[in-house]
Amino acid sequence: MRTGDRAAQKPLYRRLRLVRMASQLGFLLLFLFLFVNTDYSGSDTIQYAVNLLFRIDPLLAITAMLAVRAVIALMLPALLLVGLSLLLGRFFCGWVCPLGSLVDGVQPAMKHGRRRQTTLFPGLAMSLLLVVLVSALLGLPLAGYVDPFSILVRGLAQAVYPASHNMAESFFTMTYLHAPAWVNQITEPLYGFLKETVLPFERKYFALSLLSLAVLAAVFLAEAVQRRFFCRNICPLGALLGWFARLGPTGLRGGDDDCGACRLCSRICRMGAIDERRRIDPQRCSLCMDCLVRCPRQVIFFRSFLPGSRGVGVSLSRRRLVGTLALGCVIPPMLGVRRLTAAPDPLLIRPPGALAEVEFLQRCVRCAECIQVCIGNGLQPVLLEAGIEGIFSPHLVARTGYCEFNCTLCGQVCPTGAIRELTRAEKHRTKIGNAWFDTDRCLPYARGIPCIVCEEHCPTPDKAIKFRTVVMVDDLTGQQQEIRHPFIVDELCIGCGICETKCPLPGRAAVFVTSDGEMRNPDNILPRKGETDQWGY
Amino acid sequence: MDRRTFLRQLVLYSLGLSLSAPRFGVAATGAETAGAAELSLVSGADYSAVVRRALQLLGGMERFVRPGASVVVKPNIAWDRTPEYGATTHPLVVKTLVELALQAGAGEVRIFDHTCNEKRRCYVNSGIADIVGAIAERRVKLDYIDSRKFVEVKITGGRSLDSWEIYRDALTADCYINVPVAKHHGLSGLTLGLKNVMGVIGGNRGRLHHGLAQKLADLATVVRPTLTVIDATRLLLRNGPQGGRLEDVRQTDTVIASADPVAADAVATTLFGLEPERIETTVAAYQMGLGQMDPNQIHISEQRL
Repeated sequence: MRTGDRAAQKPLYRRLRLVRMASQLGFLLLFLFLFVNTDYSGSDTIQYAVNLLFRIDPLLAITAMLAVRAVIALMLPALLLVGLSLLLGRFFCGWVCPLGSLVDGVQPAMKHGRRRQTTLFPGLAMSLLLVVLVSALLGLPLAGYVDPFSILVRGLAQAVYPASHNMAESFFTMTYLHAPAWVNQITEPLYGFLKETVLPFERKYFALSLLSLAVLAAVFLAEAVQRRFFCRNICPLGALLGWFARLGPTGLRGGDDDCGACRLCSRICRMGAIDERRRIDPQRCSLCMDCLVRCPRQVIFFRSFLPGSRGVGVSLSRRRLVGTLALGCVIPPMLGVRRLTAAPDPLLIRPPGALAEVEFLQRCVRCAECIQVCIGNGLQPVLLEAGIEGIFSPHLVARTGYCEFNCTLCGQVCPTGAIRELTRAEKHRTKIGNAWFDTDRCLPYARGIPCIVCEEHCPTPDKAIKFRTVVMVDDLTGQQQEIRHPFIVDELCIGCGICETKCPLPGRAAVFVTSDGEMRNPDNILPRKGETDQWGY
Repeated sequence: MDRRTFLRQLVLYSLGLSLSAPRFGVAATGAETAGAAELSLVSGADYSAVVRRALQLLGGMERFVRPGASVVVKPNIAWDRTPEYGATTHPLVVKTLVELALQAGAGEVRIFDHTCNEKRRCYVNSGIADIVGAIAERRVKLDYIDSRKFVEVKITGGRSLDSWEIYRDALTADCYINVPVAKHHGLSGLTLGLKNVMGVIGGNRGRLHHGLAQKLADLATVVRPTLTVIDATRLLLRNGPQGGRLEDVRQTDTVIASADPVAADAVATTLFGLEPERIETTVAAYQMGLGQMDPNQIHISEQRL
């Protein structure tokens, strides 16, 4: 190709770059659409494949399958991305990834001057990938903490999105209460429209909202250090896709010795994929097309690799490789000797349909889909109740919200089957825990004051909360009075926690749920009256 | 104005605005004793016809809804249950009342309830979202409760409550039609019209359950239905107020309508085979002069279609 022909290519490169930008915007909007629709919509089944992003993620698919040593059919769409990356390279990072697009979006707001061009920790992402894979093989799931989609959705679902509701509500409450009528004629329909389209339906409250936000914010703030800091230095999904790209047949051909002193391509590359000699590393290149457009000589273009002509590539030194593998091997056995392993936290109530704890944690990718979709605001991210490796996995915290009796959404959005999809009838029979009365606080017991709020809300058709009428002596007057004391029928209680949520006492509820009796754990069985079982109850 | 002055004034203005939050006053009503009550009790398989006749016997919806009036129809949609379980007001009863209000020339008809289960699930599964949605009429609005609209209301005549948060639309409507479903309740015995006020109040509703009867009567002094229509097409006899078992439901195909909320509750109680005196809320409201429960003072027009 002569130089003149190449110059004629410029409009084509420009167009390609525009297509890339349109693709980023389109996929970002698709992602946001699915995110907003991770909610009840009037039907018992969720309308769209809202968990799509997590199901095309090969990192999560490989780690979850390694951990449970089985093929998870739900995650097979990840093969599509593997295939495309083998064919096209690491296009996903530059053209599709919503986190990458958002990071590119904040780019103009960051200072350019002192940022480093060369990737700061070139081997880190690959090391992380190895640690994640090896520990997954040994049964310890870590992918969810470094996976870009988990970080993104967690931060949005548990912090940004509920906060946006909070802000909108405060603003429109202010206009509603104080602004003149003509303002409200504009603001009220606007609020209605926003509520119907993008805002969350209800205000929700989340544990770890600040931590989720901090992790996400760190990804954005790191842009000040260098462009696509997270993508280049940390993202193990990117490293994995890069590894596939290295095996693939295509890539970009960089400049040559005729370029003289010009290293514009290397300087502008957001992925740090172009070295001093202007060679373009397919393992890092996200095919953003910037260098094609900017190159004064227009020499950069696609080429297919001939055998033996592969690019530079990132590889770990042998020492580093061995060290990484060793680290991945050492962590899981250390975790097996903690007290928690012997006696799990009784407040760790997993969602209905959750697998037995070990497999549940191995499959759970901490994506927060279940927590976001929970219409009762019952599911909350765990901090340390499930051990340090359980952080951000879901559990029911019944004082703030409960598990809605007829709802089966969490099992529908779980991308890995850590929470099984239940039919409504199965859900009604799935015991996730058991309720208990704190008789020192419960009004009829402690104070002789009639109260039935828990019983009223108990959703099982044959109520799991019943009453026994007793005669109490009033502490103050000494007079006898009849009062109804509520009690739990363990065989009927499914642990949904609505009693704890609705208990009218301030502060700690007088009725609370624990994981006792949960069906997924045969060791957690409750004694039954009139039966002798293997424990001799 | 420099930036500092602007910011200072902004803070002061916002402070002033927030301090001048509106207060809501409702004139307490209720005489020492209530006069005689008119009540209609109609049964039949066609619920739409039953509701129409019940209203006709009271002199027609036009007696309650003036042209251009703002109307609230307040059913019980508290639970995520389908209509056959008798835990929520039958959608046909609601629909017919909305249609009657429209025919009488209502300017707008709002339907809402402060639910116990998740709002959207309750509205959908009670059948009310669908049936109201099918009324192609701009004047009809099925609202979700908007937390901004709860206003603190002084209950001057209250014996047990001084004030409570009440939903503004329920207070400001020209015509407030209370449409409870008749069912069993673990504490109050039955839940009827007076207890249906739970759906238009905010605050910690559970806290009302201590000394419930008097508190409901107190609330009835400020939330005054123009018309009470009790849906007794099905009676939930046990495991109320939420139910969930068909064997706890008895089909009775009956609707009761009255402008007197106490009389409506008293007569509905008899459908369960109970004496009206058994329901403490009815007695408390009667004693406050909010309505009639003396059978000799209630004129019942009864019809079977």
